[in-house]
Amino acid sequence: MADEKLTEVTRVPLWDPEQDDVLVCRQVRQETHDVKTFVFSGREPRAFRFYPGQYMTFDLPVEGMVTRCYTISASAARPYRVEITVKRVPGGPGSNWLHDYMVPGKEVNVSGPGGEFTADATGEDKLLFLSAGSGITPMMSMTRTACDLSEPSDLHFVHAARSPADIIFRDELALLATQNPSLKLAFTCETASANHSWSGYTGRLSLQMLSLMSPDFLERKIFCCGPALFMEGVRNMLQQAGFNMEKYYEESFDFGAETAGDLEEYASVAPEISDQTFRVSFPKTGHVVECGPGMTVLSAAREAGLLPVSSCQRGICGTCKSKLISGQVDMQHGGGIRQREIDQGKILICCSTPLSDIEVEI
Amino acid sequence: MRSTSEIQSLVNRRQKNKSLEAPFYNAAEILDLDIDVIFGKHWIFVAVDPELPEPGDCVTVEIGNASILILRGDDMELRAFHNVCRHRGARLIDERATTIGNIVCRYHGWSYNEDGELILAEHMGSGFDKSCHGLKTVHVRSIAGLIFICLAKDAPEDIEDLARTMEPYIAPHDIAHCKVAHSSELIEEGNWKLTMENNRECYHCEGNHPQLTVPLSEFGFGFSPDELDERRSGDVKKYLESVARDHQRWESCGLPSAEEDHLANVTGFRTMRLPLSWEGESHTLDTKVASKKLLGSFTDAKLGGLSFWTHPNSWHHFMSDHIVTFSVLPLAPNRTLVRTTWLVHKDAIENQDYTLDNLTQVWTMTNLQDAMLVRLAQLGSEQPAYEPGPYSTFTEPHVEAFCDWYIKRLQNHFAETKAELAAE
Repeated sequence: MADEKLTEVTRVPLWDPEQDDVLVCRQVRQETHDVKTFVFSGREPRAFRFYPGQYMTFDLPVEGMVTRCYTISASAARPYRVEITVKRVPGGPGSNWLHDYMVPGKEVNVSGPGGEFTADATGEDKLLFLSAGSGITPMMSMTRTACDLSEPSDLHFVHAARSPADIIFRDELALLATQNPSLKLAFTCETASANHSWSGYTGRLSLQMLSLMSPDFLERKIFCCGPALFMEGVRNMLQQAGFNMEKYYEESFDFGAETAGDLEEYASVAPEISDQTFRVSFPKTGHVVECGPGMTVLSAAREAGLLPVSSCQRGICGTCKSKLISGQVDMQHGGGIRQREIDQGKILICCSTPLSDIEVEI
Repeated sequence: MRSTSEIQSLVNRRQKNKSLEAPFYNAAEILDLDIDVIFGKHWIFVAVDPELPEPGDCVTVEIGNASILILRGDDMELRAFHNVCRHRGARLIDERATTIGNIVCRYHGWSYNEDGELILAEHMGSGFDKSCHGLKTVHVRSIAGLIFICLAKDAPEDIEDLARTMEPYIAPHDIAHCKVAHSSELIEEGNWKLTMENNRECYHCEGNHPQLTVPLSEFGFGFSPDELDERRSGDVKKYLESVARDHQRWESCGLPSAEEDHLANVTGFRTMRLPLSWEGESHTLDTKVASKKLLGSFTDAKLGGLSFWTHPNSWHHFMSDHIVTFSVLPLAPNRTLVRTTWLVHKDAIENQDYTLDNLTQVWTMTNLQDAMLVRLAQLGSEQPAYEPGPYSTFTEPHVEAFCDWYIKRLQNHFAETKAELAAE
């Protein structure tokens, strides 16, 4: 019997993109203040076959329906669940929707996996992963997969973040590096923040810095993923160093060039400029929360554990109209509030981002 | 249940100068017809500009089963829509008056902009065409601050005659710079036509309106010259003299005052600036102004009371210091809503420039007295002994004008219906 030859003791059927299209959310993890990991499996048990670095395409019920591609961050060697790791993006309806509404038990329609950006870190090539921001997700999938299968052969993992608080998977990477001597880590943060001590590299990734992080980078195959400006900087840097660009691979989160992706969402990711957070206070309940860049007051309220009524999430319906007691916000509303109400100190919290510490009455 | 042909024969056999036959006052199917033909196809007075002073202000009004929302946009223009979500028909705005950004259905969040375009409808899929699901519009027209709507597809065009004639009369009172000092909703237990008929004569005034007749002469609406005793003859003489004198004075300072009678128009109306008794300033018990802050650019308080009536549902009094408007809306064959709104200058301060009690008492009392009279008339129309009785040609010509207009509008409707059927 053919079945007897399977090593697959659970005999779980393969996820078949031609047949299967519904994922069920099983777990949500808060990775950083504005990044969450969403863990999915099929309705019935399914084994997912994908290459680390591939993405799945999600249909999200925002503005009728939007389609968004998210890289699988999970290990391809743990095939029964897939994970995506998503950063909340100001003005990004897809990521905001996931952050605000995707909870265990919720179902979502998907297609894929797809994509060509993959590397076998257990192979003979010496590898260098260069990522910035949420561009870490394909690298994480490749790294986790390699660690699960055996051990990366020789992998330098360099990641650039805005601040120490923004380093996604920091603890897990540290653990993997402890267990796998062939994995070397280096982080750089654009700025250190007052709240976290930081002894790593500081500033934008430079050639000089890279030479210290990965002295033999010229001999490596390089995989790069991050905001467009970051990748452009890396390309220039490598060319300047005389790197053989045939060994350079990059993945843009602007999938638009290859598939149905989202330019707008990507565009708003690009300028990762500041790690400034503002204190958002809700004096009525006594909740206080630190609000990261681009985070709406509504999201901040949810982070604080409050559930203010809201509906459209983009300033059209006016359901979330609240009183701004102090401070300034940037409000990009869609007609859900009148100038006279704004003059009276009202804001729509779903489309307002703090420009200072603020107090809001909800 | 009366058939259309039975109603048609009631309409056709109506005798001039007599009250209407009982079914016009108490038959449900005739009220349905009234709502359809009279309230559904004519210009209906529903509100005043100061009820919606700023962008986003919104009022709703119910005409029969129709709820209409009127909204002032960012361009300060008025828009009117059926107050019905295009999704599953939920009422959009449930308050009489409120302030909104976009028009949002709380049921499933469908959202419309101030032009009634559907701008948000989630979970409807990519093939859903929002542009086919805008709010249904309703004609709206502000005439010097009095807001009229018309539910018909093609609204009567002679609203322009009314606007042209009335704007010079009303504009000096500057409704735009007024505020609502008070409003009341009174349900009269009678048919809406009885409410209107009662308003169109002052035959009943002396015996019923001790407060109203302090400022307002019962003779301003007609009298029989042969039947006046010495006291009344003196009053009439004084009244007629004051009309001649005051009209000349008011006209000379730019206030049109002469009678304009267009009650036979499709959009029927009548106006006249009436002298007031005693101090001659306002509809108050001491006939002095109720508000120290005069309207518009008035400096003289003695400007009489500009009376303005419209078919089928309103009357108004414009004084130098305040304005009172009345909107009549049928609720049932024997129930009618009378909505009264008192306006004063927007800068007038309550309890400093005016008190609500002094401002409103004449018409609060008068409305209650009229409600009682309308109730008695309604009860009468339901008695077996009721038969149409004669109107006084001296004191009730405007009642006749109202009933004649009403009957003609129904006749016109039946003629049009017949023509449409013939054309099919």
